[in-house]
Amino acid sequence: MPEVTIDWYVALSVILFSIGALGVLLRRNAIILFMSIEMMLNAANLAFVAFARHLGDLDGQVLVFFVITVAAAEVAVGLVLIVTIFRTKKSINIDEIHLMKG
Amino acid sequence: MGNPIVFGILAIIAIASALGMLLSRNAVHSALFLVLNFSTIAVLYLILNAPFIAMVQITVYAGAIMVLFLFVIMLLGAEQLRGVRGDWRGSERWQQLLAGVLTVTLLIVFAVVLFQGGGATGSGVTAVDTSPSALGLRLFEAYLLPFELTGVLLLAAMIGVVVLNKTKKRG
Amino acid sequence: MPMNAFGLAPLLLVFPLIGVLFNGLVGRRFIVANRNTGEKWSGWFASVMALSAFMVSVLLFLSLRSHEYHAEVVHLFDWLAIPSAGFRVPWAFQIDTLSVTMMLVVTGVGSLIHIYAIGYMHGDPNFSRFFAYLNLFLFFMLILVSGNNYLMLFVGWEGVGLCSFLLIGFWFDKVNEKGEPMNANAARKAFVANRVGDFAMILAMALTFWSFGSLEFEPVFSHALEMFESGEMVHFGLFSASLGSVLTAVTTLFLIGATGKSAQIPLYVWLPDAMAGPTPVSALIHAATMVTSGIYLIVRSNVLFEIVRASGATIFGIVSSPDLVAYIGAATALLAGLIAFTQFDIKKVLAYSTVSQLGFMIAAAGMGAYVAAMFHLITHAFFKALLFLGSGSVIHGMEHGHHHIHAHNHGKEVHGTPQGDTHHEEDNFDPQDMRTMGGLRYRMKTTFIVYMIGALALAGIVPLAGFWSKDEILAHGSEHNLIVYILLTIAAVCTAFYMGRQLKMVFFGEPRHEAAAHAEESPAVMTVPLMILATLAVLGGGLNLPFLSQGIAETYHEHPGGVFLGLEGWLEHSIAAFELTEEGVVHLPETPKVFSPGVAGISTILAVGALVLAFYVVYANKPKTAEEPDPLQSTPIWWFSVLPLNTLYMNYIVPGFNRLAQWLADKVDWAFWHDFFHDRIIRDTFVGFAHFAANILDLKGVDGMVNGAGSLAKRLANWIRQTQTGYARNYALSIFLGTVVLLAYFIFMAN
Repeated sequence: MPEVTIDWYVALSVILFSIGALGVLLRRNAIILFMSIEMMLNAANLAFVAFARHLGDLDGQVLVFFVITVAAAEVAVGLVLIVTIFRTKKSINIDEIHLMKG
Repeated sequence: MGNPIVFGILAIIAIASALGMLLSRNAVHSALFLVLNFSTIAVLYLILNAPFIAMVQITVYAGAIMVLFLFVIMLLGAEQLRGVRGDWRGSERWQQLLAGVLTVTLLIVFAVVLFQGGGATGSGVTAVDTSPSALGLRLFEAYLLPFELTGVLLLAAMIGVVVLNKTKKRG
Repeated sequence: MPMNAFGLAPLLLVFPLIGVLFNGLVGRRFIVANRNTGEKWSGWFASVMALSAFMVSVLLFLSLRSHEYHAEVVHLFDWLAIPSAGFRVPWAFQIDTLSVTMMLVVTGVGSLIHIYAIGYMHGDPNFSRFFAYLNLFLFFMLILVSGNNYLMLFVGWEGVGLCSFLLIGFWFDKVNEKGEPMNANAARKAFVANRVGDFAMILAMALTFWSFGSLEFEPVFSHALEMFESGEMVHFGLFSASLGSVLTAVTTLFLIGATGKSAQIPLYVWLPDAMAGPTPVSALIHAATMVTSGIYLIVRSNVLFEIVRASGATIFGIVSSPDLVAYIGAATALLAGLIAFTQFDIKKVLAYSTVSQLGFMIAAAGMGAYVAAMFHLITHAFFKALLFLGSGSVIHGMEHGHHHIHAHNHGKEVHGTPQGDTHHEEDNFDPQDMRTMGGLRYRMKTTFIVYMIGALALAGIVPLAGFWSKDEILAHGSEHNLIVYILLTIAAVCTAFYMGRQLKMVFFGEPRHEAAAHAEESPAVMTVPLMILATLAVLGGGLNLPFLSQGIAETYHEHPGGVFLGLEGWLEHSIAAFELTEEGVVHLPETPKVFSPGVAGISTILAVGALVLAFYVVYANKPKTAEEPDPLQSTPIWWFSVLPLNTLYMNYIVPGFNRLAQWLADKVDWAFWHDFFHDRIIRDTFVGFAHFAANILDLKGVDGMVNGAGSLAKRLANWIRQTQTGYARNYALSIFLGTVVLLAYFIFMAN
C-alpha cells in the first residue's frame, strides 16, 4: 500500500487547475467562465492546505482563508457585472463583448 | 495523509465533477457539478487536518457562492447561450488547439517534476494545533493588518455591487 | 544688551499696506452701504494704520536710544542677486538716527493729516480711493526713508512719485474755463518733471555701482572714504578717473534728482500746479514729506558730497558740486519767495513758499550744514503742514459760506455736500482766491489762531520753530558762503512779507465777498490736528536749541544715550562728522553747530520789518473789494516778481526741446536709423535669412523629419493594434501562455 504523500495532492491540484484553465479558455458562457476561475482558485487552495499539513505550519490555512474571502468579493462584483452587461446587451456571450478592441 | 484508497476515490470524484462542469451544456448542471467538486475538496481538507477551512469551504463556496451563481443563472435565464450551437466550440480553432497544448504542457511539466524529483518523503510534520481558535489567534496576531484590509476590500466590493446594480431612475 | 524693537521694522510697511488693501478692496463697499459709517470706517482705518506705523517709528526711536544710537540694519531678504556680476541688493532696513527722524516726521505728520482728511474729504464720492492712495503714499515714503541701499530708496522715490501723480489728479475729471482737464494736466506735468530727475537718479545709481561695486549705503560710503584716503583712482575697465571727478558726476546727478523731487530750479515748475490736488495731499506730499526726499537724499549721501568738497573737484572748473547745490537752493529760495508776492490763490502762495523753504534746506545741505537742513525739514513739516491744513480749513469755510448764500438766493436747500476744493462753475466763485476773503478772523477763530502761529513760524519770529531752524541755516551761510547768505536773507524777508500779505488779505480787514461773511468754522476732526500741529510749530524749535549743544562732547561721553542733546547730538550718529585734511579723514566728535546773535538779530528785525511793512503800509487799507488791484501791482517789484519763468519755460524751453526732439525723431531716427539702417541692412538680411529658414530648413528638413516620425508611429501602432482584439479569451490565453512558459523556464532552466 503506497503512502499518500504531498505529491499526490499537488498532482490533483494541478489537474483541477488545468481543467479550470481550459474552462476559461474554451467556454463562452460568462457564468461558466467564472465558475472555472473558482475552480482554479480551489485548486490553488488545495495545494496550500496540503503544504500547510506537510510543513506543519498554520500560515497556509490563513492564506486560504484570505483567498476565499477575496474570491467571495470577486464573485459578487463579477456577477453584478454580468447582470449589468446582460441588461444592456441581452446576452452573456463573452465573444460578443469586445469593447476594448484596439 | 490519509488512506490511499480514500484519496483515490475522492480524487476521481473531484476530477470527474470538474470535467462535468467543463463539459456541461447547461449552466445549471455546471454549477451543480461544481458544488460536488467543492464538497469533495472540503473532505480532502478534513483529511489534511484543516477542519475550519473545510467548514468555510462548505459554507462559503459550496453554500453561498454557488447559490449566488445559481441565482444569477436563473435570474437571467442563461442556462444555455441563445443562438449559439456548441458553446465551447465557438472560438477559433487555433486558440482551442493552443489552449489544449498549453494544458498538456502544464500537466507534463508537473508530472516530470513529481516523478523525477522523487517528491517529498514521509507524511511531514504532524501534530500542529489547527483548531479554529488557533487559526483565529494566528489571524488576529500575525495577520491583523491583512485581515483588516480584507474587511475594507469586502466593504468596497459591497459598495461597488450596490452602485453597479443601481438602475438610473428616469424622469 | 538692552531690549530693542528693530525686528519690528518691516511692520512699518505692513501697516500702510494693510490700509491700502482695506480701502482699495472693500472700503468702497462700506461707503456704498452707508455713507456716514462707511466714511468713518474707511477714514479711521487708514488713520489707525498710519498711527500704527507712527507707533512702530516711536519704538524704533526708543530702541535706538537704548542701543546707544548705533545704526542697525534689519535684513529681510536678498532682493536682487546676480552672483556672477557681484551684484547684490538686499531688501533691508537702515535703522539709524537719520532714517528714524524721517520716519517720525512722515508717520507723525502723516497721521495727523489722515485724521484731518476724514473731515476734509467728507462727502467725496471717491472717499475710500483717496485713503487708499494716502496709505500707499505712506508705504512708499517709508520704503524711501528706511531702505539701506540706493535701489530701495529709488523704489520709494518712484512710488511716491506715482502717488503724487495719482493724488494731484485725484479729481481728474475737473475742467477749467477752457474745458481743459487741468488737474489731469497738473498731474502729468508733475510726473514728467519728476521723470527728468529720476533719470538722473538712475544714472547716478549705475555710476555708483560701477565705481564702488555696491548700492548699499554703508559699503559705498566706507569704500569711497578708503579710496579717498589712499588716493586711489576709480577704474572703469579700460579707463580710469579720479575719485573726485567721479563723485562730482554722481553728486551732480543726485542734485538733478533732488531738483525734480524737491522742486528746485530748474524743475520746480510742477509744484505750484500740484496744488490742484486735495489740500491734505498738498500738506502731506507737497509740503511735509515727499518733496523733502531730495534733501534726505543729499543728507544721506553727505559722505560723497564732503569728499567732493575736500577733493576740490569742480564742474568744468567753475563750481564744485556741493557749492552748486547751495547756489541752486539759495536761488530757488529767493526766486520762489518773490513769485509768491504775486499769487492770489491761497494755496499757490503756500506752494511757492514751500519751494522757497525747500531751497533753504537744499542750500543748507549744500553748505555742509546737514543737521540744520534736517532741522529745518522737521520744523517746516510742522508749520507748512499746519498752514496747508489751515488753508484747507479756510477753503472749507468759504465753501460753506458760499453754499449758505447760494441756499439763500435760491430759497431752497442746496443738496450735495461741500467737496474740498470743488469749484462751482455756475457763478465763477473761487474759494481759494484770497481777494474774495477778508475778515475771517471773526468767523473762524481757531483756524485764525493756528494759521497765525504757522505764518509767524514760517516768517521766523522768535521763539517759534521756524526762527531757530532758519536762523541756523543763515548762521551757517554767514560763515561759509556770503552769497548764499545774502540770497537767503532776502528770501527770508520775502517770506515774512508774503505771509504778512496773506494774513492780512485772508483774516483781517472786511469781508470782500458774501461767502467770506458767512464762512463757518470747520469740524473738530479738522481743527484738532491743526491745534496739535500748531503746538508743534511753537515748540518744534526746542528740538535743536543752540544752547543744548553746549559741551555736547563732554556730556555725551559721560552719559551716552542718557541725555537729550537735541537733534545735533542725535543725528551725529548717522551723519558722519568728519573733516578731510591732507593727512586723511579726521572724525570729529560732533558736527559744528553755529548760532550767531548778530545774524539772528538782523533776520528777526528784517522779518518783523517786512511783516509790518506788509501789514500796515502796503496792505494797510487795501484791497477793499475783490476787484481792486493789488497795491504792489504798480511797482517794479511786481514786474520782477512776475518774472515770467513759467512763460519762459513754456515759450522757449518747451518748444526748443520739442524742436530738438522733432529733429532727432525726423532726421536721426527715421531718415537714418529706420529708413537706411533698419530697412536696408537689418531687414533685408533678416528677410533673406528668414526665407531660407522657412522654405528650405523648416518645410523640407524639419517638417519632413517630424512628419516622417509621425507616420511611422501611426503605421506601427496600426499593426500592433490588431493584437488588442477585445476578447477576454484572448487575453486569458496570453496570460496562460506566459504562465506556462515562465514555469517551464524556472523548473527546467533555472537550475
